[in-house]
Amino acid sequence: MSEFAPIRIYLVISLLVSLILLGVPFLFASNSSTYPEKLSAYECGFDPFGDARSRFDIRFYLVSILFIIFDLEVTFFFPWAVSLNKIDLFGFWSMMAFLLILTIGFLYEWKRGASDRE
Amino acid sequence: MFNLFLAVFPEIFLINATFILLIHGVVFSTSKKDDYPPLVSNVGWLGLLSVLITMLLLAAGAPLLTIAHFFWNNFFRRDNLTYFCQILLLLSTAGTISMCFDFFEQERFDAFEFIVLILLSTCSMLFMISAYDLIAMYLAIELQSLCFYVIAASKRESEFSTEAGLKYLILGAFPSGILLFGCSMIYGSTGATHFDQLAKILTGYEITGARSSGIFMGILSIAVGFLFKITAVPFHMRAPDIYEGSPTPVTAFLSIAPKISLSANMSRVSIYGSYGATLQQIFFFCSIASMILGALAAMAQTKVKRLLAYSSIGHVGYICIGFSCGTIEGIQSLLIGIFIYALMTIDAFAIVLALRQTRVKYIADLGALAKTNPILAITFSITMLSYAGIPPLAGFCSKFYLFFAALGCGAYFLASVGVVTSVIGCYYYIRLVKRMFFDRPRTLILYEPMDRDKSLLLAITSSFITLFFLYPSPLFSVTHQMALSSYL
Repeated sequence: MSEFAPIRIYLVISLLVSLILLGVPFLFASNSSTYPEKLSAYECGFDPFGDARSRFDIRFYLVSILFIIFDLEVTFFFPWAVSLNKIDLFGFWSMMAFLLILTIGFLYEWKRGASDRE
Repeated sequence: MFNLFLAVFPEIFLINATFILLIHGVVFSTSKKDDYPPLVSNVGWLGLLSVLITMLLLAAGAPLLTIAHFFWNNFFRRDNLTYFCQILLLLSTAGTISMCFDFFEQERFDAFEFIVLILLSTCSMLFMISAYDLIAMYLAIELQSLCFYVIAASKRESEFSTEAGLKYLILGAFPSGILLFGCSMIYGSTGATHFDQLAKILTGYEITGARSSGIFMGILSIAVGFLFKITAVPFHMRAPDIYEGSPTPVTAFLSIAPKISLSANMSRVSIYGSYGATLQQIFFFCSIASMILGALAAMAQTKVKRLLAYSSIGHVGYICIGFSCGTIEGIQSLLIGIFIYALMTIDAFAIVLALRQTRVKYIADLGALAKTNPILAITFSITMLSYAGIPPLAGFCSKFYLFFAALGCGAYFLASVGVVTSVIGCYYYIRLVKRMFFDRPRTLILYEPMDRDKSLLLAITSSFITLFFLYPSPLFSVTHQMALSSYL
């Protein structure tokens, strides 16, 4: 059972950190001396005209998703590149098949204009 | 080297066709020179053609498939079960795609990626049926689910569709996680993911101690993941909302194709991989609960697609009877049930799509269909009565064989619950028939005539349903062969 000691320590520390991060704001948050008027947005004394939030631009999401995909592709390339002399031609063509699938996805994304600047 | 890929030629063809259609679609539909044409019908017909060619490759290549032992040992196994299940799957996909074309025209739906995603999910389901390793099974299930998450949300202006897609994503990713957890528990306890090795370990000798609870957890989690995906009770909650909110061709596809492939895969896991008492008890309980819920909850429905969702939940319950008895007759009855269920569901959704042209959503819209469109009313009645299990239609034969198999292995309670819920379920099926034939609504709703593809599909499936009882032995012997091969 002593093989699980690192895992147990990891569990305890992660639990502690998340509980601390969750619980400490309760100590420093504003108490009951606040009221809705005090917490509302300030617009030169008037009632707020509109919501301060704007519509979420989907391009943020697209950039992050595309980054994940192509970054993982590069991550898969590294061990392949390092061991290419051992996996001969079969390994080369397997990776080329993987690359082909991702290239088709990239072509689709390019043509659709997912990375265009407006 | 060539022999290596001989076994997966159909899938390779389908993947290549998918990629070519994707590039073709995106290059032409974003070209300003051609004025941005909507390519969905074009890609749709080509997709239908590629599905049919895949089926031809699969059907004609059967003797060659035994050569390729690279895949045989590691990820896939091709035998009679996979052969016929894949053909059934490809036929259902072809039927579903051919139902969609009118839908694209009517709704002005122009995203050709819909068809590409259907083709990709079909390819992954082909892999799922022949998967022989826990990892291959999980990857195929994930690929299929991912494609479905997207197409369930594909009607962008409709909030219903977005809700359906979101519900499908959240309540579909979660059971994938549970499934993977089960696979990892089994791997951790036994060190094996291949079904051959699992069969030897799990059924060969008695395992006690911490390992046996790990295996139990693993099998339980895999079963729970599967039951989620097949929308059995008590994991059925997302099914009515998803079925109602998604665009109707997506609902059709999603109530036929995953059930075929998941049942085939699950029969491998439960019969070959882990033959024992655990899975049997889970399936026993879930099939009873599904049958009861499918019968009772559908009575309160007022919308057609929700009614079909609950009736498919009930049918999943009947099909799980086949899992619960671990005998060859059980698997055979399961396969017969799946085949007839697929045909009935194609029929039902073709009718719903045909009626959809004037926005039928509620059951009350079906009033006096017998006066406005008598042939459609008769076809719908045949389908509904077949669902209910009225002899001599095909649904009765499938239910009869399922209950026969349950009685044959001693599950008397299961069979009696099945019969009782069949009778209760007859109520709402016959209520639909009554509404079509005997209701007098204040205004008669006139429907546009349906297009040729749907009429062909309806003719083929409804004539099969009515005439099946005359010559059922081909199906019986085919499914017997399939069931035998999963025991070898």
